[in-house]
Order: sequence, then C-alpha cells, then structure tokens
Amino acid sequence: MPGQQQDPPAPDSDLVEDPIYLHTRREAKIILSMWLIAMIYTCTYCYLFGYSTHPSDPAATGPAVSSLVGPLESFDRQPDSITTPLGLGIPDWVFYGVALPWLVCILVSIVFCLTIFKEDDLESVQQVINTTPEGASHG
Amino acid sequence: MAETSSITMWVFLIYIVGVFALAGFSHKLLSKKSFLSEYFLGSRGLGTWALAFTFAATSASGGSFGGYPSLIYSYGWVLALWIGSYMIVPLCTMGVMGKRLNQVARKSGAITIPDVLRDRFDSPVLGLVASGTMVFFTISFLVAQFKLGAIIIEDTFNLQSAYAYQISLLIFAVVVVFYTSYGGFRAVVWTDVMQGIVMGAGVLVLIPIVLNKTGGLEKATKTLAQQPPMAITSVPGPDGAKGTFNDLVFHTTATPAPAGIAYLKPEQPSTPLSIQWQANDEQAFAEITMATDADGQVTTTGNDIKQAVQAHSELSSVLKIEFPYKNDKTIKVDDAEVSQGATGVIWFPKDKTEYRFSMIHGHELIFGPGRTNKGRPFHTLGMMLSFFVMWAITGMAQPSTMVRLIAFKDSRTLKRAIITVSIYFGMIYLPLIAIVMAARSVLPVLTPEDSDRAIVLIATRLVSDMSIPYQVLGAIFIAAPFAAVMSTVDSMLLLISSSAVRDVYQRTINPDVTQRRVKIISYTTTAVTGILITVIALYPPDFLQKLIVFSSAGLAASFLFPTLLGIFWKGTTRQGALAAMLGGFFTIVTLFAPTLFGNPRIDLLGLHPSLMGLIASATLGITVSKLTGPPDQTLVRKYFYK
Repeated sequence: MPGQQQDPPAPDSDLVEDPIYLHTRREAKIILSMWLIAMIYTCTYCYLFGYSTHPSDPAATGPAVSSLVGPLESFDRQPDSITTPLGLGIPDWVFYGVALPWLVCILVSIVFCLTIFKEDDLESVQQVINTTPEGASHG
Repeated sequence: MAETSSITMWVFLIYIVGVFALAGFSHKLLSKKSFLSEYFLGSRGLGTWALAFTFAATSASGGSFGGYPSLIYSYGWVLALWIGSYMIVPLCTMGVMGKRLNQVARKSGAITIPDVLRDRFDSPVLGLVASGTMVFFTISFLVAQFKLGAIIIEDTFNLQSAYAYQISLLIFAVVVVFYTSYGGFRAVVWTDVMQGIVMGAGVLVLIPIVLNKTGGLEKATKTLAQQPPMAITSVPGPDGAKGTFNDLVFHTTATPAPAGIAYLKPEQPSTPLSIQWQANDEQAFAEITMATDADGQVTTTGNDIKQAVQAHSELSSVLKIEFPYKNDKTIKVDDAEVSQGATGVIWFPKDKTEYRFSMIHGHELIFGPGRTNKGRPFHTLGMMLSFFVMWAITGMAQPSTMVRLIAFKDSRTLKRAIITVSIYFGMIYLPLIAIVMAARSVLPVLTPEDSDRAIVLIATRLVSDMSIPYQVLGAIFIAAPFAAVMSTVDSMLLLISSSAVRDVYQRTINPDVTQRRVKIISYTTTAVTGILITVIALYPPDFLQKLIVFSSAGLAASFLFPTLLGIFWKGTTRQGALAAMLGGFFTIVTLFAPTLFGNPRIDLLGLHPSLMGLIASATLGITVSKLTGPPDQTLVRKYFYK
C-alpha cells in the first residue's frame, strides 16, 4: 500500500499489528503480482502472435490494429499459417496465449490456496456495535 | 421463438417452482435468527459451495449467456483474449480483499458495504454518499436486467399478444421480487447455487453434442479461416425500430469483389436506385444509392437492393445475397410459411446520409483484433489491457461481490471457494468459445442485433432431433441465461433495500427502531424497489438505458480504492476515502457523458474509462489522505492492531 514508510506511527508502541491484517496484506501483494505476470504474458503473446493487420477500410476510424502502436506488418499472419496444437482446433496464439496460461493460473490458484493462504481465525473476531467507535473494544 | 418445445416450458416452470421452494425454506430460517443480519447477510454463515456459486452466479450476469456468445459469434477467437483475465479473476476478486474485508466487517458489525466504509472511517457522510452512489448505478443496471429477463420469457413461451413484453415483465418481476423479498439473502444464495449448477451443467452437456454434430472444432476453425468475405448489414427501421426486415447478407463468390457495401441517401428527391462500383480498385465499396420519392423519402427496400445487385452486370457474378436470421418476412398461405423477403425500407435518420458495411474475411474471426460490420477494429491493444484490468481489478469492487465477501463463514470456506470458482470459470468461459465457434456452421447468419440469440439457437437446433433426456438438457441450457439474469437481479435488489433500510433508515434516521419494525420495512422496501423498477422497465427512459453501459465501471471506480485503501493502508483518512469515491464517480460520469448525447465515450490514450476512473480515485485517495492526515488513531488502533 502507498507510502508505508509514511504510515502514521503506531498509536501505542506496545500494541502488536493484527496478524490477519499482515497476512492478508502479504497475500494481496502476491496475488496482484500474479495478476500482473498473467496480464503481461497473455497480452504480449497474443498481441505479437494473434493480431494481424487487416485490409484498411476507408470508412473505419483509427488505425487497423491499435491506436498506440499501429499496424504490425512484421508480425502479420496469413490464414494458412494457422496451426492448431494437439488437434484441439484452438488457434495456436489462443492456445499458447490464453488456454495454456489459463490452465496454469488454475493450478497456481490451487497451489496458492493450499500453501500460501493462511487459514486465519475469523469466527472469533468480536462483533462490535459501532455507534461510538471511540469507546468500543476491539477484537 | 418457434424452436421452443413444450419440454423447455416444463423445465422453465419446474425451475421457477424450485426457486419458490427455496425462498420458503429460507423464510423459515429468518424467524430463528437475528433478522437484519440474516435477511441481508445470511448471518455470515456461507459455506464453500454457497460462497463459490453465489459468487460465480452473481458475477456472471445475463451477459455471460447472451452478450458473450453473441460477441464470440460476431468476432471469433479474439474473445478468448477479451475474457482472458478470467483465468485469474477468482483469485483476484476473492483473494485480495476477501479475508480482510470479512474481518473488518466483523469488527465493526457491518452488514453492508456502505456500512463497512461508514464504520471504518466513522463517517456517516461517507456511508450516505456510498449508499447514494450504489443506488444510482445499480438501479439503471437493474432496469436493463429486468428487461432482459422479460425478453427471455417472451421468447421462451413464444408469447404472441400485443402486450407480450408487458406480460413477460410482470411474470419476471413477480417471481424475482417475491422470492427475493420473502426469502432474503439466503434465498438469493440458494437460488444462486441452483443457477450456478444449471449454467455449468448447460455448458458441459453442450460441448460433446456440439462437437459431435458439427464435425469438431478443428474442422470448424480450418473452414472458417478460408471462408470468403461477407458483409452483414444492420440498418434500423423507421424511428430506430429493430426487426423491420430490411437487412441483407452479401457473400463474396468470386474476385475481384467490393471491399464493402455502402448505402447512400441522395440529396435530390425522385432519384432512381443506382449502383456504382470500380472493379479494378481493391478498396472500393459497392455504393448503392437509394431511390427516393417526390418528398425525398427513401423508398428502397432490402428486396429492391437484392434485385438491383442481381441485375448488375459485374456485381451479379461476384456477390450472392441472402436474408439473415428472422430478416425475411414470412406469411402463411394454406398453412405453409411463404417468404416475402426483406420487405423493410432502408431507413435513414435525419442527419445520416450513408451506411457503410465492410466485408469481413473468415480469417478475421481467427485472429485479433476482430472487426465490426462497420469496419472498426473490435479489441484493440488499449482495450486488451483495459479488459485485463477491468475484469480482475474492477471486479473486486462490485458491491454485489463485496457483500458476499463479508458473508462467508471462515477462512477455509474462502480458500475452498477460490479453488472451486477458478475451476468453474475455466470450465465455462473457454468451452463457450469452442461451442459457438464449432456451431457457427449450423447457425443461420445473425445480424449484430440478433446475435445474442446464438447460444439459444445452438441449444435448440442441435438437440431438437435427439431423445427426450437430451431435450431436457437443452431446455436447461435455455434456462441458463434466465438463471444468470435472476441471480444478478436478486443480489442487486437486496443491495438497494439493504442500503435504504440499514444505512439510511436504521443508522441515520431512526437508530432505535424495533426489530419488528425493521422486519416490516425490509420486506416492504425490497418489494417496493422491485415494483418501482418494474414500472420503469415498462417504458425505460432513454437516458437510463444509456447509464447501464457505465454502471459497473462507475461502481468499481467509486468503491475500489475507498475500500482497498481503507482496509490495507493505515494512513487513509475519511476525507481521503470520500475524495477517492467522488473522484472515481465523477471521472466515470465525465468520460461517459458524451454517450448520453449519442456520441462515443471518451477513451483517453485508447484506454477504457474505468481505468482512468481508478487512476483518479487512487490518486485523490492517497493525496487527500496525506494532506488531511494523520488519521483518527482510535480507528487505526481498532482496525490494524490486535
């Protein structure tokens, strides 16, 4: 989270940071890193191998492929160049760019849940009627 | 819809009876537990299956079984990339905030998301702004979903009355409003589980049937790659009406063929129908100038265009014209259906003088970025990145999903639910692409307006000649979109009433309200909200329709950073949270404002507005917190220390 070094000082130096807060913060960072890796891989792979330029259309607005990069002639693909790995009928760029990483993500999600994810005790967190937080006790 | 069998109707009815039964059981539990917490949160007791399916079913709105297959039909394999971030969506949307949000809500005793924000920052103003924002975006979304639910009923039961839509809407509203207001959150969750299973089973059953009957995906992909170019027109009827029998499909049969078809409206009255095309120019469109009467009104019909092209010396040998699905008018003669063809006039709005439709090559359905029938690229690089952020990151912040994260029982439940939903999404979204792509060959050509019927047509056409058990399964699949709509609607309905009852009435107007009175108010508010939305959905105002497209982006931009910063960053102040919420809200409203006036939304740097909303929200949340800090130490101590 932003500017942790500038977080307010602990209200009371003998207080211990909530372990659930610490665990979830760590888990959130790992998950968001995994999301970033998945995004970079999938978008890069698919863009390089799955996007071909198209015959330009005089009526279409904007460049053929992307307003940021423009046409990618060097990566142009012809219909007869398409392969379908394992005979599944899925075009190669979808297979390696989306289907395979999807499978990997499911496995990684399972591994994450079984190994990194902490089974913190939530049921014993005390419920507090929060009308006057100043006077309320905490769990 | 003519394809609907009596089996489908029976499955539908049994399904609805099942929903009512679940509401009845759920209502019984209400009398045994603390009312508000049970009615709006299921007493924080959701187990693994309930959490997993309620989560999956709520996030898979009607779009998953209508809009998504429709886009697959229109743009092809690029939809794999469009939906690609669902590979990590369950982990992101449940794993990043789930456990912590649940803990914070337990500490504060919150039962709604505005409740959480209000307590975390001890700010009634923030709670009320959050409720207001949520209701603003949710109502417009609900109206659209009610409309969609009504259309599914109208289609399924093949209602022919002049008031078919109104009757269907009433049936839909009575079912949904009754079971939601009577059964509360637990009824909603139980029906979600049932609906989630229906949707999953539908896909799993359809895969082998489709692959077996169409010769497989491998063959379909190869055939599609070589498919000659074709242009599908989509022209509205007078006053923008749809289904007016004026659309055509232009197939290329030889080369050189036109790059597309242009319909031109002449400036002069009494102009005859004419066609211009330069065969030696690869980029040239076949330009068809419409015939006009003495008043300058276009009189050309789809049939006229077909005849003119067939009579044209050059075009007749390179183009073949057919009528897309449901776009040829048929009449009954001696009990037989006789086609009259595209009898509708090509209609031009006041300020429009031409329509242009590009020839789309088969291989464009195999590669990215896909093209619309008007020739525009579909999924550009900017959108590719935006969608990866949108599904996974903005998905975290939908109040309807967040409220489920404060309702589960324990950490183990969350862990198992993440695994379940990860596998479930993998089993649904990728196979749906395979199903639609493989089945394209057996479908009629669908215009963009009709393409959301793709999945229903696949289910009905492929099982119609199979044995009864298969037909039952096909019928279940037709019920899937309906289930998806219902599971989204019921959750949203409860969100609105929980906001009104808990955040506005109980916590702001009358904190000393009795349990009995809360009960009556909760039932009434849920029911009245449903009735109100039904009335609006009878004649949805135009501006509300236009709000729908940005309701989920607006909710995400308004709620993600106030919540995320609030639970993970000690330095967040109540002013910072409020600034983050309002910053996200106004950025989205500003960038989408042109759509209210019929113009395209503003995509800064080619990126979707939701990204800009999130950036604005985060920047304001952090900056304002720094400027107004340090935050209230009592709150920091309460939520971040043991």
